[in-house]
Order: sequence, then structure tokens, then C-alpha cells
Amino acid sequence: MAVETEEGRLVRVQLGNFSIDEELERVRARSTKIGGISMFLGTARDHSKGHDVSSMTFEHYEGMAQKKLKEIRERALQDFDIIEALVLHRHGPIEIGENIVLIIVGAQHRADAFQACQWCIDELKKITPIWKMEYTPQGDVWVEEHP
Amino acid sequence: MAQVKLFGMLKTLVAGVNVLDMPLSDGAQVKDLVDALHVQYPGLGELLHQKKVVVSVNQEIAHWETALADSDEIALLPPFAGGA
Repeated sequence: MAVETEEGRLVRVQLGNFSIDEELERVRARSTKIGGISMFLGTARDHSKGHDVSSMTFEHYEGMAQKKLKEIRERALQDFDIIEALVLHRHGPIEIGENIVLIIVGAQHRADAFQACQWCIDELKKITPIWKMEYTPQGDVWVEEHP
Repeated sequence: MAQVKLFGMLKTLVAGVNVLDMPLSDGAQVKDLVDALHVQYPGLGELLHQKKVVVSVNQEIAHWETALADSDEIALLPPFAGGA
């Protein structure tokens, strides 16, 4: 079995929940030069486009999804004045209120951390092969947010 | 014979399967695969022609002229919906 590097832990698609505290610490521990940390946490809401949602399931393209998250981290590190970026997304069944996605960016200063964090989640939604099925009273619906 | 992976809502267009076996001729390109899929699965073919569904080859988004081989990892990707 391949040994997972600390760098590999910074980009993951995983079935289970994640600990925000542990992930925040993972980023903070990367450098004592970090002076500002920005975070985006996406959670499962109980309505979408005018209908109720009882739960959801995320499907991902194993391999390509991880590759795209890695690209996002590397481009963020290259294009923004930041020190570290963590990008996690869950797959499988997720109940209302649970965590879905987590972006944490550490930088020397807050402005760069905020900008990079927003860019990471926007880019994730554009280029990462992940799909969402919502369970609603009207039936199961595959969501199409980016046609 | 190439294996074509399907994700998300696309499986509902092809009787719930998540992999299609498609024959490839020598020198085949993505557009040839799309044409063959259109014949067998018109609903799926329509989405491909409208570019609402994209083709990936070896985990990179492909163009219609991208060359294909049986050993390639080919997938059809409907619009992404990750995030929250």
C-alpha cells in the first residue's frame, strides 16, 4: 500500500466526515509564516430550487476528481500569494446539515487568503467531476448546476 | 472494444449501466465514438452533440479530434455539481 504523504492529505475525496479542527491544524502546521487562514465549508441544505430535499448522494470520478483537486491546490499556490491550501470533498450519502466540502487557505495576510479561498471553491465547482443526486418528495434528481 | 464509463444522470439514459462496451475502428477519434453512441442511444448522443456532456480520455477533457485506442480510459461527463 502506498504511503500517503502529508501533501496528499491536503487534497482528498473521502466517504466519511472530516474534522474541521484537524484540517485547520493541518494547514496551520505547514508554516509559522501563516498569519491569516480563510475557510469555506459547504454543507447540505434541505431545499433546492424551490423543492424540499431530504438527503443527497455525491458521485465522483475516482482518480480524475482527485487529480482536479490537486490541480486546484497547485494553481492556487502558484497564482495567489498564499502559503498553503487544503481542498476536501466528500462522496457517498450525506444527510441534511452534514459537511460536504472544505477549503482552507493559509497566507501571510487575510486578503490573499480570502481571494484564494473563493477562487478554489469556484474552480472546484467548474472543473471537478463530482455529481449530486438529491432525494426529494417528487423523486430523485440529478442536479445540473453547471450546464 | 473500448470501455466507456458513465456518470450521474447519464446512467438513466442507458438502462442503468455504468459502463458501455463500444467497438472502435483503427484511427477512431472522439467524434466517431460520439456518432456511434448517437445511433445506439439517441438521448445520450443529443447531449454529446449539444456539448452538455463532455468526453474525457485518460482523465483529461478531450476534443472531438482526440484519437482513441481500446486501452484508453474513456468517460462521459455530464455537467458537474460538486460543492454545496
